[in-house]
Amino acid sequence: MPETAAYVILGAILFALGVVGFLARRNLIVMFLSTEVMFQGVLINLVAFGRLHHQIDGQIFALFLLVIAAVEAGLALGLVVLLYRRRQTLDAEAWSTMRG
Amino acid sequence: MSGALASWLYPIFALAAAATYLLLPGERRTKPVGALLGLAALAAFIVLIVTRVALPASSSAYFCVCGAVAILATVRVITHDKPVYCVVYFVLVVLAVAFLLVVQQAEFLAVALVIIYAGAILVTYVFVLMLAQQSGAPVYDRRAREPLAAVFVGFILMAAVAARAADLPAARPAAAGAAPMAASATGQNPGNTLDVGTTMMTRYIIVFEVAGLLLLVAMIGAIALARKRVPADEYFPPPPEPGVIGRQVAPF
Repeated sequence: MPETAAYVILGAILFALGVVGFLARRNLIVMFLSTEVMFQGVLINLVAFGRLHHQIDGQIFALFLLVIAAVEAGLALGLVVLLYRRRQTLDAEAWSTMRG
Repeated sequence: MSGALASWLYPIFALAAAATYLLLPGERRTKPVGALLGLAALAAFIVLIVTRVALPASSSAYFCVCGAVAILATVRVITHDKPVYCVVYFVLVVLAVAFLLVVQQAEFLAVALVIIYAGAILVTYVFVLMLAQQSGAPVYDRRAREPLAAVFVGFILMAAVAARAADLPAARPAAAGAAPMAASATGQNPGNTLDVGTTMMTRYIIVFEVAGLLLLVAMIGAIALARKRVPADEYFPPPPEPGVIGRQVAPF
């Protein structure tokens, strides 16, 4: 089995642990931190696949992924501040009555 | 071969799933059991990777150490009771991933990752955490929400992706005309910063501009979201009556 597989499996582990954290944690900030962990898993995958194909493009994609992560962090934390101001709590369950 | 690897991966992932479930915040007193199970699963995973995957001898130890640190720190991020410690462990994840990128000859990306994540994004997280964190350990940090279902979904996803990863082909030799990696005209290896910059400024220049626009839009959006509505009276109080201004405002 090639070297890339080890990196892809590691990326899958980080991504899936991030999914578990996003689903299981109730603190809004830790939930968004879990999405950042998922970004790390994707980052490892992009670089590993770029290396597999001998292309630099994987690293370029990873740089743009950093841009997306920064955008996500900024907007998500703005949202967290907004939600905290409304309910005075970081608990995601406080918004569980918000049904469509 | 892939079937053999998957058949070894599945029990390890099952063990890790049980460990993660036991480690998630809750009223249970099973954290030491979960930690032992998790360490056993991690050790088995590393042994499996070392014995089944053809890692180059030069980077095998780096991969094992950094991968183990990344996985352990990730588990602590999603299981720790205190959000501040979650952020600190996430810094550890970022550093381990950056080191793995260096091992994979992505030096520029590794340094950019550390600067952007540890320097910018994490600082923002810590600021918001200090702004919004309540004193003591609130109940929503001590109880997980549907931990069994979350662990089930996450580890099914992990097993599916990892089983497919075993079918990956081996790296082919570099094709002619492909963007060179870590090669230069001088014959030395200057790192890949030159390649990254050249490719980004030529082939991906449109995407580069769009990324800048996206950052601008996100900045405006974040300001608009987090803005506090203050009544106009507090900004512009009614002007004082004529003749009272000298009595209200002391000179110094």
